[in-house]
Amino acid sequence: MNWGALIANFPYLVSVVVFGIGIIIVLTQSNLLKKVIGLNIMTSAVFLFYIAFGNIEGGVAPILDPAAPAELYINPLPSGLILTGIVVGFSTSAFALALIVKMYAHYGTINAPDFMKMR
Amino acid sequence: MAKVPLYLILGGLIPSFAMPVLARWKREACAPLAVIVCGGLFALALYFSGGMVGKLQPIYQAVADWSPPWGIEIAIEPVSALMAVLITGLYLLIALFSCRSLKKEISVDSIGWYYVEFLLCMTAMLGLVITHDIFNMYVFIEVVGISAVALVVSKGDRYSTEASLKYLILATIGSGFVLLAIGMLYMITGHLNMRFAGEVFAQNAGQYPYMIWVMMTLFVVGFGIKSALFPLHLWLPDAHASAPSPSSAILSGLVVKVYIIALFKLFFIVFGNAFYQQSNIRILLLILGGAAMLFGSFFAFVQLDLKRRLAYSTVAQLGYIYLGLGLATPWAIVAAFYHLVVHALMKTCLFLCAGAISYQTGRKKVTGLQNIGYTMPLTAASFTVAAFSMVGLPLTGGFISKYLLAVESMGAHYPYFIALLVLSGLLNAAYYFPIIWQFYFVNEKDPPERRVLQKDKIPFTMQLPIVVTAAGIIVLGTAGVAAYGYLQQIVVHFLG
Repeated sequence: MNWGALIANFPYLVSVVVFGIGIIIVLTQSNLLKKVIGLNIMTSAVFLFYIAFGNIEGGVAPILDPAAPAELYINPLPSGLILTGIVVGFSTSAFALALIVKMYAHYGTINAPDFMKMR
Repeated sequence: MAKVPLYLILGGLIPSFAMPVLARWKREACAPLAVIVCGGLFALALYFSGGMVGKLQPIYQAVADWSPPWGIEIAIEPVSALMAVLITGLYLLIALFSCRSLKKEISVDSIGWYYVEFLLCMTAMLGLVITHDIFNMYVFIEVVGISAVALVVSKGDRYSTEASLKYLILATIGSGFVLLAIGMLYMITGHLNMRFAGEVFAQNAGQYPYMIWVMMTLFVVGFGIKSALFPLHLWLPDAHASAPSPSSAILSGLVVKVYIIALFKLFFIVFGNAFYQQSNIRILLLILGGAAMLFGSFFAFVQLDLKRRLAYSTVAQLGYIYLGLGLATPWAIVAAFYHLVVHALMKTCLFLCAGAISYQTGRKKVTGLQNIGYTMPLTAASFTVAAFSMVGLPLTGGFISKYLLAVESMGAHYPYFIALLVLSGLLNAAYYFPIIWQFYFVNEKDPPERRVLQKDKIPFTMQLPIVVTAAGIIVLGTAGVAAYGYLQQIVVHFLG
């Protein structure tokens, strides 16, 4: 196995592992709030992935200084994109939390297995 | 005017956000405004689509004058123009239906808010089919997802809340997958514009085989969750069955389809037809599509709630579409497309019928539908037409698409899928025909509800959409040859 490549791509490995942890939390936890936290962990992993591949080793922030132009700039586009992703993730979790409040009003609990009993 | 496809998006977006204000001032005006907006956009979509009949020339527009490789590009291709006509046309009918039916189904205070989600969902679906920018596509996917969840929860009872929470969580997982895959696609190609990404992808595809496998799997799983590909369909029956009936028609008829369109666009614009033909992912689509056809029909067979039965039937019918996509011969893809259009019409018709029946009689179980054929003749006749189309009887649109899928599974050397198609068709018959039998041939011994049946007759605005969609199914089944020829032209143009 090529350990050098793995270490060079360490951020990707971390983001994929965190993504998996997030999905496992969503699927295995029965508490709805923990599910939403799992969703947030999962989307954060994607944000990390985007920021990691936007980075270029040795690059500087993409601000063009005409007096002293740098040789290498990092790619600002993925960071810009992920700003949208963060907003979307925020609105999704806000909506999910609002729904959980409604669930609590209807059922008096936020523990998923209890809903099945109450049907 | 002629070159401004952006109006398709803005035309729905601005009225949608005006709705709550309008609702404060004059609540009755919300539904007519939605009808007018949908009608206007339908006319616009027809105009774009009609302009393409002869020459199949896509219309490109760079948003805010940023030229394509960098800025967001909107492209109306023949396929997306057709989808825009389908979406806006069905929306017009559903909006007409919702004018009266919503008053009975959701609380009066939330009608203004309902139309926000209603129009927002249409806007985002239109954006999804006409955008040519991959990240913009992701944004529209999220807007469709959130507004679709809001369409479910608008009913406000405990079942719809629970179903919508399940839908929201699974849809968010799906869009997480899609976002990760978009990142990988950007890593491989360095472009977000579909055409440019496609060009670079064709050159670079050989260099990153593992990454492309992961990326395509993530795309298929992500869109599979959102479009209820068989083992990932768990959210669908709850969400579609517990929503108000106009929402059910939108969700089942259109929302699950636009994700398939997004997958179509990724497969054939970015990855390219040649690459898709030899990728293994289409075998996965074949297997899951076949499983969906069988198990979706089987689960539908055991449901007793009418809308739940229709919802599981959607799972099965999406299997047909994925089967056509998996067979991947040009004609199979045309058949998949045809089935997508026909299924949008039939499922809208069936859900609106279910809504109308529950509006007039209050009945929701499949066992309580006696005499509907005499008390609501037009609704029952439309339901019958749509159900025949689901089964695939001749003279209906469903026959043509299923026949072509059968022919193509022979042509693509997967003959055993014909057995699956026949079995699934028989199961469809097994769960639709008892309903029709009850409509016409079962007499209630003691009809205590007969007076109730007549009391709250469905108004003309609810009857018209049902009849129009049923007529559309017949037209697609009889004059379908002409429609089919045009569809073949545009799909072949799409495949490049």
